[in-house]
Amino acid sequence: MQPLLKVENLGKQYRVRRSPGATDHFAPLEGVSISIDPQTTLALVGESGSGKSTLALCIACLEPPTSGCIFFQGIDVAVLDQNQLRLLRPQIQLVFQDPASSLNPRWTALDIISEPFLVQRRFTKPDRAVRALQLLDRVALPRKLAGRRAGELSGGQKQRLAIARALALEPKLIIFDEALSALDCSVQAQIANLLVELQSSLGLTYLFITHDLAMAAHLADHVAVMQRGRIVESGPARKILSSPSHDATRSLLAATPLLFESSREPVNF
Amino acid sequence: MRQPRKLAKWLVVLVALHAIVAAAGFFAPYDPVEQDRQRPYLPPMRIHLMDAHGHLHLRPFFYPLKLREGSFDQYEENTATSVPLLFFRSGASYRLLGFVPARLHLFGATGARIYFLGSDAYGRDQLSRILYGGQVSLLAGLLGAGVTLLLGALVGMAAGYYGGWRDELLMRIAELFLALPWLYLLFALRAFLPLGVGPFDSFLLVVVVIGIVGWARPARLVRGVVLSVKERDFVRAARGFGASDFYLLRRHILPETASVLLTQAAILVPQFVLAEMTLSFLGLGVPEPLSSWGNLLATLQQYNVLVSCWWMYLPALAIVPFFLGYLRLASALQQRTVTYKIDEKNDWNPS
Amino acid sequence: MRYLLHRALHAVFLLLGVSLLTFLFSSLTPGNYFDEMRLNPQISPDTVAALRAQYQLDRPLPIRYLHWLSAVAHGELGFSFAYNTPVAPLLWVRARNTLLLTGTATLLAWLMALPLGVWSAARFGRAPDRVLSWATATLLVVPDLVLALCLLILAVRTGWFPTGGLVSVGFDELSPLHKFRDLISHMSLPVVALVLATLPMLVRHVRASVTEVLDAPFLRAARSHGIPDRKLLYQYALRAAANPLISLFGFSVGTLLSGSLLVEVIMSWPGLGPLLLEAILARDLYVVIGGVLLSMLFLVTGNLFADVLLYWADPRIRTTASAK
Repeated sequence: MQPLLKVENLGKQYRVRRSPGATDHFAPLEGVSISIDPQTTLALVGESGSGKSTLALCIACLEPPTSGCIFFQGIDVAVLDQNQLRLLRPQIQLVFQDPASSLNPRWTALDIISEPFLVQRRFTKPDRAVRALQLLDRVALPRKLAGRRAGELSGGQKQRLAIARALALEPKLIIFDEALSALDCSVQAQIANLLVELQSSLGLTYLFITHDLAMAAHLADHVAVMQRGRIVESGPARKILSSPSHDATRSLLAATPLLFESSREPVNF
Repeated sequence: MRQPRKLAKWLVVLVALHAIVAAAGFFAPYDPVEQDRQRPYLPPMRIHLMDAHGHLHLRPFFYPLKLREGSFDQYEENTATSVPLLFFRSGASYRLLGFVPARLHLFGATGARIYFLGSDAYGRDQLSRILYGGQVSLLAGLLGAGVTLLLGALVGMAAGYYGGWRDELLMRIAELFLALPWLYLLFALRAFLPLGVGPFDSFLLVVVVIGIVGWARPARLVRGVVLSVKERDFVRAARGFGASDFYLLRRHILPETASVLLTQAAILVPQFVLAEMTLSFLGLGVPEPLSSWGNLLATLQQYNVLVSCWWMYLPALAIVPFFLGYLRLASALQQRTVTYKIDEKNDWNPS
Repeated sequence: MRYLLHRALHAVFLLLGVSLLTFLFSSLTPGNYFDEMRLNPQISPDTVAALRAQYQLDRPLPIRYLHWLSAVAHGELGFSFAYNTPVAPLLWVRARNTLLLTGTATLLAWLMALPLGVWSAARFGRAPDRVLSWATATLLVVPDLVLALCLLILAVRTGWFPTGGLVSVGFDELSPLHKFRDLISHMSLPVVALVLATLPMLVRHVRASVTEVLDAPFLRAARSHGIPDRKLLYQYALRAAANPLISLFGFSVGTLLSGSLLVEVIMSWPGLGPLLLEAILARDLYVVIGGVLLSMLFLVTGNLFADVLLYWADPRIRTTASAK
């Protein structure tokens, strides 16, 4: 079976001009290769600054990589022109970490969910409203919130809204960039369960970026560990989390409190 | 909350002031170009309720002025005839707001012309000229501010959104414009354009010149807003749906610049009205017979007028309530918006 | 040090840019001094042509600019068509008159603004502060045009001040003391106008900066040590509030030449302002460019001066500059 997403040797370099004549090179990504099979979840873990968000932006075609390739359903994303890219974009969606920043606080919930339809010019105006309300139901948000401005919603509600928006264009791959990190623990659990449910009912593929190994254990089929812009370890979730082979993975595991029993078996919660 | 009330209060004041000037035809007793060569440089007439014999009248009235015995330019009241002041009279025809013909005036008199604020060299009523002149000056200020903000917003958005060499280039040019002394630039621009043109063309030139001089500061402020909004995730998310640059600028970025632009408008309009006044005062602005607050003051450059005709100074005071209103509006607006800090020493321009 | 060099280079670029802009602009616009001459039937077309050639007006633009640039490097600023003299001496005389006026006014304004602003900030919110705020707000609302004209009319009607010129007729025959008094009496009106125009904004800025600092914990700590109030205000608070004030001072220095144009024209003070206005109207190219450049020089120097002062006064700027 062909992987849905295949990233080969991706690199990203920034050039920062400190003063005329002296440029620093800053590389958040170096030689990154991952692959995700359809309808599975890959958790990308690593500490802050390891380059996870940059990778997310590159895969979502929001930042151009400086080297390497990204294959989505076998198509090389880099060779697409603007129009083709526009047709591809609905298939890959991104949910950001901070919903206060990823949702325009002045817009109403309905407008936010309908925005993808507007941009992609799908459906008539009344149709958009109907579909938007359906999406609200999908993420378990009460319909009466449709007219509220995003700035008035709670953190958990905002993130559900962001997920609803990501679902609007019926994507195949959704990238969650630390999407649950800013939420309260109980809310995290609720939304995590929502994500699992959505994946099985809609046949979605997830790339789940987090620094929380417990969450990764709960949601992921495969895990890839990043450190300083490189993938240092990857494989099935159980194997990596129970017997890590790289220092980075080990230190991440060690930082996860009270998760494992003495037998070092991950605890499901 | 105190802030919205303050804002509303000053907005009402300004709207009322502008309405008075806009309806100049109604508030002014006479046509501003109507001359009366028999009565040059008349001082302002006084309204009386009590006449020279000590009787109180219900209807206010005034005494026409006559030349004092043995002098060419001293006037005194002619208490022999009293002319009553009538309200809501029909008088010279005018066009309200430029297209509604009307003849109703707030007040007027039969038998003699009433000069509330005196007359000029040709016997034209100063009150009427000040009201009509306000239309020209205020319009010049408003239109000029519109041009500047449009220019500044376009440049600021282009520089902030696209970045790179375009940003560098545009900001360097802006710096140049900001560094030039504002008044010099104004004069130079205006004076180097054709001078002896008709009133309407002159007015247009004044608006264009004023508009071009001031674009740099709004451009910098707008650029600051764009830079900070551009990096927000909701803009990224919209791009993730396939939004075009134009869509992002129009639907997400532009609304964020609205508050900055509004505050700048409140600051710039009075400055630009003043600029028009200065230009006209020095002969570089709107020419006769069109009146503007500036060219009404130009007569003060003659020594004899300066010494004896103090009422010719009054057009200068006309701008003060507008300045007050706009400055208060600007500070009320500034208090309720987030200011995007731009680290530049040059922002200390006191004007 | 590198930081200052960088700023100085920046200033030079600015000057070059402005000179190019002014040159370009005034050369591209329709009409020049000689068009007026050509209309005069008494002057033959040959004379006009000869004069044009003499002033090299027929050469292409870039060459004229380069010529002019090299002349400036030698200290020559071109030739005034209207006055028929070299531009440089003309400018110096007028600039000197302007500086006399603005220098005095700026000095007075700052000398008044600092104590007023500090005093007002120390009594923040109480009656004296509110009165001063109201006074500055009122003055701010009156534009300089209105103010200057008002003062002029006052002078004319009361006869207390002469209404124009640098000195009276017969100046040269006066004794030095009388000369001085004469000059002062002529200067008074314009200086008052300038001070009234700039004082309110200065007081506001001083007051704002000092108020911000007065809340700082280090000041409360100093007061608890028993340091007397006056010393507290002037030596501690003012120094901490100095940064924006130094920038403002640099700006004041920078506008020494250009800020008084209107006042000079209205009060007939023979300074740079009226000269430039005349030159602009008469299309006297080199006077305009020379005058604009001179004011720009002051502006740029003023900012540079502020940069140097800031660098010297604020250790934070020194460390961030050297970290770059």
